[in-house]
Amino acid sequence: MKQRLSFTLVFVAFALFLLLGPLKPYLVETAALTPFYADEFTFRKLFGTHCGVLFQVAAGLQSCFAYPWLGACLFISVLVAMAYVQRWAFRVGDNWFGICWVSSFALLTNYTQLGYLIYTIKHPAVAFAPALGFLAAFALIGLWFHLKHWWWKLAFLLLTPILGFWLLGFFGGLVAPFVGFCEMGIARFKKCDEPSPTKRRTSRRQVLGSGTSHMLWGLSLFFLGLLLPSLLRLILHRDLDFEAGHIPFSSLPREMRLPWILALTFPLFYAIFTLEGKRRWTIAVSALVFCLAGVAAYHYSFLDSNFLDTLRMKHAAEAGEWNRVMVLARENKQEPTRAQVCLTRLALFKTGRMGDELFTYPEGSAAYNAPQQNQWLRLMIGPLLYYHYGKTGFAYRWAMEDLVEYGERPAYLRYLHSVALLNGEYALARRYERTLARTLFYKPSTSSAPSSSSSAPSAPSSSSPSASSAHSVSSPSPSSSSPSSSSAQSVSSPVPSASSPSSSRLGAAHICADNSEAESIRPLLNYTDQLDGDNGLVEFYLLHSFALSEGGSREIVELSLMNSLIIKDLTSFWPRFLALLPTWQGHIPTHYQEAALMVAQLQGGAPVNDLPIDPAIGQRFQRLIQASAQNGDNAANAIALRPEFGNTYWYYYFFVEGLKTN
Amino acid sequence: MKGLRDIYQKYLLPSLRVRGWWACLLLLAACTPSVPTTFEEATWEPAVSPNNFGATLPPNIAPLNFRILRGDASEAVTHLHSLKGGEIIVTGWDVCFDEDDWHRLLEQTRGDSLYCDIYLKAYGTWEHLPTQRFFIAEEEIDPYITYRLIRPSYVTYEELTINQRCLESFDERVIYENMRFEDSEQGQCINCHMPRNWNRDAQSQFHVRQKLGGTIFINGSDVTKVNVKTDSTLSAGVYPAWHPTLNLIAYSVNETGQVFHTLDPQKIEVIDYASDLILYDLDANTVQHIDRTTSDFESFPTWSPDGRTLYYIAAHYTPRADDIDADLDTNYDQLHYNLYARDFDLSTRRFGPRRLVFDAEALGKSASVPRISPDGKYLLFTLADYGQFHIWHKSADLWLLPLSNEEPDSLESHSCGTHPATMTSAHPLEAVNSTEAESYHAWSSNGRWILCSSRRDDGNYTRLYISYFDRKGQAHHPFRLPQRTADADDLLLRSYNAAEFMVQPVRATSRELTRAVKADARPVSYAGSALLSPEADTTQVRAVPSSAERRGASVGY
Repeated sequence: MKQRLSFTLVFVAFALFLLLGPLKPYLVETAALTPFYADEFTFRKLFGTHCGVLFQVAAGLQSCFAYPWLGACLFISVLVAMAYVQRWAFRVGDNWFGICWVSSFALLTNYTQLGYLIYTIKHPAVAFAPALGFLAAFALIGLWFHLKHWWWKLAFLLLTPILGFWLLGFFGGLVAPFVGFCEMGIARFKKCDEPSPTKRRTSRRQVLGSGTSHMLWGLSLFFLGLLLPSLLRLILHRDLDFEAGHIPFSSLPREMRLPWILALTFPLFYAIFTLEGKRRWTIAVSALVFCLAGVAAYHYSFLDSNFLDTLRMKHAAEAGEWNRVMVLARENKQEPTRAQVCLTRLALFKTGRMGDELFTYPEGSAAYNAPQQNQWLRLMIGPLLYYHYGKTGFAYRWAMEDLVEYGERPAYLRYLHSVALLNGEYALARRYERTLARTLFYKPSTSSAPSSSSSAPSAPSSSSPSASSAHSVSSPSPSSSSPSSSSAQSVSSPVPSASSPSSSRLGAAHICADNSEAESIRPLLNYTDQLDGDNGLVEFYLLHSFALSEGGSREIVELSLMNSLIIKDLTSFWPRFLALLPTWQGHIPTHYQEAALMVAQLQGGAPVNDLPIDPAIGQRFQRLIQASAQNGDNAANAIALRPEFGNTYWYYYFFVEGLKTN
Repeated sequence: MKGLRDIYQKYLLPSLRVRGWWACLLLLAACTPSVPTTFEEATWEPAVSPNNFGATLPPNIAPLNFRILRGDASEAVTHLHSLKGGEIIVTGWDVCFDEDDWHRLLEQTRGDSLYCDIYLKAYGTWEHLPTQRFFIAEEEIDPYITYRLIRPSYVTYEELTINQRCLESFDERVIYENMRFEDSEQGQCINCHMPRNWNRDAQSQFHVRQKLGGTIFINGSDVTKVNVKTDSTLSAGVYPAWHPTLNLIAYSVNETGQVFHTLDPQKIEVIDYASDLILYDLDANTVQHIDRTTSDFESFPTWSPDGRTLYYIAAHYTPRADDIDADLDTNYDQLHYNLYARDFDLSTRRFGPRRLVFDAEALGKSASVPRISPDGKYLLFTLADYGQFHIWHKSADLWLLPLSNEEPDSLESHSCGTHPATMTSAHPLEAVNSTEAESYHAWSSNGRWILCSSRRDDGNYTRLYISYFDRKGQAHHPFRLPQRTADADDLLLRSYNAAEFMVQPVRATSRELTRAVKADARPVSYAGSALLSPEADTTQVRAVPSSAERRGASVGY
């Protein structure tokens, strides 16, 4: 009893530490990617579709990761229950109990190792479905050995492969072959019932016969387990997936399949071999295996700091906590990925600090710790970036593309809903609201769609957009250039101005006027629509579309200026700079001052002396010219000048090269 | 003991039986919904979803269930009745009619009005909302429809199904689903399930693209796969039109791409960068060109009921740049499709010269999806501001062009200037159209019902509406495809696509279809032009567009 409790407490503590410690943002993201809707459709799917019960129950539980402590407790409970059920099913002695935890550790790792793959695995509940599936399978196996009457066993044999397979998919189908293995494994259960040593000694031939008969019996069960689901497929005239329930192997790299295989093979091991020893070394071996499993679980869990930081930044951005995004960017000790850089830039833009601080934040293009590099930025934050930068068509597109590809995940529906609102498509927004309202934790707090005449009583109040916002924008900095504090002020740009938005768009703006999030995006919608494609290269597209844009609101012109600086295209610097100059009201943001000095030096084009350039910045620029002239070598300069000038546009322009956007 | 049993059997039991019956009857009476007898008249219209009031219904349609939107009321009673007798009373907010009662009532009301009274109890008082009306037509509707369920998607696709639905009930069956051959390397797109002559002879076809691609022909339970693509044609067959009497199908062959709006809520443009028409002979297994010019894009063929005329759309295109794709991506709104026709000689199987049927370009518009009524008197098509893929065009409306000389008296004519006589009476079907896209449509086999795809509910998800088309050529207020539960369409995040009527269901089994899809596609041979006097034949077979985003597009019109 004491041993059991010790193993349990250690496992629970370890799992809680892992899930609620470094992996907390991963749990939150998992919940957003879990399609669970509490409605009649779900109820119908429970029994109406293959593996429905497992998928729906698992997805329901997994969506509780939205509250990490709740989801973690549920997940750990399932894993703990699994260890105990194995002990019960396979009659594992207390001293060997540590081994029963291997499956629990393996299934914990099965989830925690996924990392970026959580976006691309087409499975409704990657954490809970395998855990619940194994739990149910072991419980059924245990039930088999506890059934006394042959007719119960017969019913079990016929029902489990068919019904179990229908309700639990692979795990239901697993039961009969597993029982077959156990039966082949010998008469050890029999021995438990007939412990007389005399009888065993006197009937060696009988034992051999018994072993053979068990072997045959087991093989028949094994093949019956394989045969009956095929029969079900024939009867239903449907292609049933024998693997339904567990994470599809095809979506996992080979090494990631190991925990899953361990979760399966260890129970097989003690299904075949009796683990009842009471010697001291047995508990030592058991504890050693337990510890090794724990160490392996920690080692193979995906604790990549860039990945987890990106998730933290994303969640902060979705909550409108832009200052927190920047704090996280500053705290990051590694080279950031482009996703982190993009989120930082967005936060700087949202708080109006882009012109002063953008080049003071770490730059980089660290590789995503996963295969297929180009897709992760889009999958993680593509719709978020497009939505906040006013490219609503592309935000909607990628949310829809991902919904089509990976299922009706709340993460995508939220952006479809937000874009529909911003577009003024209220009937469409209501459709998404209704769908989100059926989730457990993603009911939209902004029910901002105004009523239509045909559905007056049901429609929410038209004043509700102002009531609350799911992603309210935090207070911007006092900077006068804050886009969120400014209205859709038009800039008298010397660059040809874009045509004004359509009347329907103005209507949308009116409705969204009280929604702070929409309010901050609205000025960015002031451009002419065009047909385009981004090929999934979100950052590249955003950089170039803004850098090449002409006219528009003050916010668009500023983004145009900044993005042209980022891509080092200085050709239209002066028209944009001069157009924005009056809006800065005396304080030109630092990086624009730096750029003005540099462009004047390189290309001329404007009387810099007439501009309100901070003398300190001017002196610093002179120091840079002198310092760089001393070395001459670009590589040496990049290292030597970094401490003093690493936070300037000049350094970025001359020395930061080879960044891979996306 | 015996005495007690006698007393029980002689006196108590009969009494209990009688009382039991009475008790049951009383309980039943208490549970039977009744119409409030005292109420106040309300002046506001009932708020229900879906709102089909005012529609003309076929006498064999499934119940039009709906949900009453609650408001302040605490109870609701719905009373459906006709002057010919018969009624259904339903209590509660979800008004789901019993199928048998509904069919009985509609049968009784055939050719007459059906009335719907809704009573709401608010603050202790019953209110009677203004009486709503349906009209029950004499003519029945074809009992089946077929459609594809697809998400209103862009480039990616998953879980496409071709379904058939019984209109007399809520039975829906998947004819074919694409996920059975899914793998991580290559997906499978399915589209254009088109029955021949409303599936009277159990013949239909659909396309399978990408993995195990080909065109699947269903003939009863005989299913075959054909590769209609040849080296001389732009693509495999796309939009099909079965010849009504001969074993022929006219197809468009299209080089289609998708480009995306950055801001416009119309979201997507589906553009043909080239397109022609071909004729596939099922018996000879050959394809011939019908229209093949680089300067015109032809598409959406359809036959007249006698099979002597092929109607289609075509747009004249003058390249403004070497890169046609880039040019069209910029000038997509300059492409206007007109309606054309070619006569077809049934004996020689040759087409005559092209003639203009409707000059949409002269109106600054663009026509698409022409469909001729079974009596050959009307041409139904969609008209929008530009292009041919009108599902994404909010300006798309249904228009009707009377083809016979004898025009209905009540039609309000819209003059089209100096165009052929048949064009002067083309007019929009105001009763059916909405502010959102009406994009695809089909006639029932008796010509009295129009099945129409519309995005009127929210601008993005296509739903099916059915409109009565009377003998005077007038369309009536449509109703939405009935569903078992009122919110079924609200919760479904998929669009109904390319719906067609059928007089009988597709009987090929999933196994037969799967076997045919798995098999190798039979190649066809190219047999030159099908024109009586071949015209300029200048189309070069072009390479697939280079943009990766355009490839693999599964589009639903």
